[in-house]
Amino acid sequence: MINKLKYIFIAASLVAISCNNTAKDTEATAENATEQATDNAISDMSIYNLPSNWTTQDGNEIELKELKGKVLAMVMIYTSCQAACPRLVADMRNIEKQIPEDKIDDVQFVFVSIDPKTDTPERLTEFALENKMEDDKWLFLRGTEDDTREFAAVLAVNYKKISPMDFSHSNIISVFNQAGELAHQQEGLGVDNKETVQAIIDLAK
Amino acid sequence: MKSNIKKFFFTKMLVGIAAIAMLSSCVNDQSSKKYKDAVDIPVNQEMIAELTSPPFVPTPVGKRMAKKLIVDLEIQEREGEMTSGVKYIYWTFGGTVPGSFIRTRVGDEIEFHLKNHPDNKLPHNIDLHAVNGPGGGAESSFVAPGHEKVFSFKVLNPGLYVYHCATAPVGMHIANGMYGLILVEPEGGLEPVDKEYYIMQGDFYTEGKYGERGLQAFDMQKAIDENADYVVFNGHVGAMTGDNAITANVGETVRLFVGNGGPNLVSSFHVIGEIFDKVYVEGGDLVNDNVQTTLIPAGGAAIVEFKVEVPGTFILVDHSIFRAFNKGALGMLKVGGEENEKVFAGEIHDGIYLPEGSVIQSMPSLDRNKEKEEVKALSFEEKMKFGKDKYMATCVACHQGNGQGIPNAFPPLANSDYLNADVDRAIDIVLHGLSGEITVNGKKYNSVMTAQALSDQDVANVLTYVYNSWGNNKTDVTPEMVEAVRNK
Amino acid sequence: MKYYSTALFLLLSLFCKLSAQNDKMAMVEGGVYLPLYGAEGKTVKVEPFLMDVHPVTNADYLKFVQENPKWKKSNVKSLFADKSYLSKWTDDTTFTGLKDAPVNNVSWFAAKNYCECQGKRLPTMDEWEYAAMANENVPDARKIKAYNQYILNWYETPKTFNQPVGSTFKNYYGIYDLHGLVWEWTQDFNTVLISGESRKDVDKDANLFCGSAAIGASDLMNYAAFMRYAFRGSMKARYSSQNLGFRCAKDIEN
Repeated sequence: MINKLKYIFIAASLVAISCNNTAKDTEATAENATEQATDNAISDMSIYNLPSNWTTQDGNEIELKELKGKVLAMVMIYTSCQAACPRLVADMRNIEKQIPEDKIDDVQFVFVSIDPKTDTPERLTEFALENKMEDDKWLFLRGTEDDTREFAAVLAVNYKKISPMDFSHSNIISVFNQAGELAHQQEGLGVDNKETVQAIIDLAK
Repeated sequence: MKSNIKKFFFTKMLVGIAAIAMLSSCVNDQSSKKYKDAVDIPVNQEMIAELTSPPFVPTPVGKRMAKKLIVDLEIQEREGEMTSGVKYIYWTFGGTVPGSFIRTRVGDEIEFHLKNHPDNKLPHNIDLHAVNGPGGGAESSFVAPGHEKVFSFKVLNPGLYVYHCATAPVGMHIANGMYGLILVEPEGGLEPVDKEYYIMQGDFYTEGKYGERGLQAFDMQKAIDENADYVVFNGHVGAMTGDNAITANVGETVRLFVGNGGPNLVSSFHVIGEIFDKVYVEGGDLVNDNVQTTLIPAGGAAIVEFKVEVPGTFILVDHSIFRAFNKGALGMLKVGGEENEKVFAGEIHDGIYLPEGSVIQSMPSLDRNKEKEEVKALSFEEKMKFGKDKYMATCVACHQGNGQGIPNAFPPLANSDYLNADVDRAIDIVLHGLSGEITVNGKKYNSVMTAQALSDQDVANVLTYVYNSWGNNKTDVTPEMVEAVRNK
Repeated sequence: MKYYSTALFLLLSLFCKLSAQNDKMAMVEGGVYLPLYGAEGKTVKVEPFLMDVHPVTNADYLKFVQENPKWKKSNVKSLFADKSYLSKWTDDTTFTGLKDAPVNNVSWFAAKNYCECQGKRLPTMDEWEYAAMANENVPDARKIKAYNQYILNWYETPKTFNQPVGSTFKNYYGIYDLHGLVWEWTQDFNTVLISGESRKDVDKDANLFCGSAAIGASDLMNYAAFMRYAFRGSMKARYSSQNLGFRCAKDIEN
């Protein structure tokens, strides 16, 4: 039973791997049939090792892995935040503005909510509208509280619920390469984002 | 002595450096060009910074250009000895208190590697007062045990600066010894001198009283009350006395880099029998000439320079004098060489300056009966051992390791006619102190010994040790004898 | 949503052999307390929960990596553990030190997964701090000088990690070694925003971190806690340390 399940997994994940894969490769991998097989295309340091499921602002369920192949600029915020988050959103917008036209399609800007209770898909959609971020390059995600805490742990983002409405949190924008490996982090509000922009441009095709 | 060779070498080196400077003045773009702003000084080449443990300092920068300087500092939490028989867990930059001395020049770009040893329990960081930037580097260097943080900065302002740990609770990290000095020399370096040393004062707070044996824990309440048990130079009592004294020769100019780690107390730094020819006030550019005692704030430093004209032992103190004689803030500079009658004729007794004159203030000993049960010294061997511990904790600073005393200042206890003549008088002196002129082995002394707050058993132990060492008459002093004198 | 977390649990259990071991747990009656660090002056309610009587030992952890090879030293993904992971183990199945000493040099991810494989979880920081207020006789000994001195003293004592579990006192709830052997991971250790610039951390600059958590260090008893929070603030989830272990907790099932 378990083996069969795994088989399906492997098959599914192999579809996602680039088309260069010959049938021979597929057989070889299937023969190995270890859990390693699913991770074959990702390194030890990739966030795609995290087995978490997320909901987007459109109410779609996605796995993190589906973002593979794009450069990610990612920040953790919550929508009812009055102080730091608007500035973080502005920082993300500023970064986006500085990415040349020919590279922009290779970049995904991701906001991950640290307040999944409040930040329902409906609320995230509203937030995207308010901030004029309806384009596909802006992605808003929410997960379970546990997955969110784990995800934050990977990014070294610390946050704490201070009151029903307020969280205290680190202000960190992270850049991941196409394989999901952390390439750059900037910490602070309204900081000079030159290096972050450069990191994205260098990575994007 | 070594210093002669050193001096010769040094002079040669200076000639050499001068020659090189003359030859290369047209090639060397740095020395010919004056930069308005230290930020613009270019760096070339990398160099691993030489780090030294106190009381020593690294080689002067001299005429070298600004460089990229790699500083590699390891934090160690380790047990050390505060004074004989008293153990303490020190937290250190580089294994010593104060931490390693860092020597740089204006325009250097410092790449700082801060390593927190895996055996350590706590996270730490470093705030260097020489840094222009948030927290002095504290935030960038916050490092968990078993990790390393690297950050870099450019030194822009010449001067002598304190560095210290700034991890919560900050006071505790500093109180456990996490401080040191970083020197930023001006373009072309400081004037060469014959001897340079590194001294840093700190105050310590322990659960037990001064000299109480065993491993002593840090006492937070005493630290908050600023009620120090130990005030010491270079991390422990006796770090700069006896065999550990710093040295110089007659005619030499001595430069001391003096810091004060605190956490609480301000130092009134003074060298008994010397005047500072020059003090770089607070470690900055302002030079004051002919200073007797200079004030060094907690978290501050000063550079003092003086020429030693006559031989002898010069005593370094925090002139808040009880700290010097009762808490450990006492060091020594031993100067060898020819006497100079013109400067110091020797008939004038070198007295210790004491504001109250000859009045002796004894410590109130209330609740004597409620004192903690002490370890009773049973056998003669134990009495000797405990007596030696106590001697090394409270007497050694003045009377020295072998009871030889200090000429013109503190009388000898070795082969001492004065001591052997009258045991009750000796007990009385330990209990109640002594001042005024006395003659010991034919030499006159006129200084002050303060009353020692010791139990009868302690007095008996320490005197038994003294009487049975260094050629004295082997009297065995008992607590009963002490009690009899006390109740006179 | 629900459906997905069930699926996720299935997925997890595929990669995790459930096996309960070292099953002794003690019940901590809940209550309300004022933590050192958090919303200013706000008390926290801790629901009753179960907590392991001892920290997880070397022997416990060896069994775990044998059943779950992906947590072996040579297999572990670097996203989940840095180089110091089990650094004192001579190979995948050989630890150094005592069998019943607390396991150390494990990352937060590893500790979290261990507890999940036992059908448990890591205690929250509030739960841990709440249980750790107790001395032998009372649930809140924070104002007792001797108790605080005991904690501060062990923080200053080197190499306490290689002592058998149970070698310190049994607290009011019947739990051992919360103080005296190793620091311990908590589920939400990364709620601490101590930047390392502690002098700035007390500055309540709300704009900096939104709702600002505050540290109230008004009295002595907080210094021991202060050091724990500073330690947590210095850690990342991949990190591990020789003086850091863990134990598990569990909800009380009605």
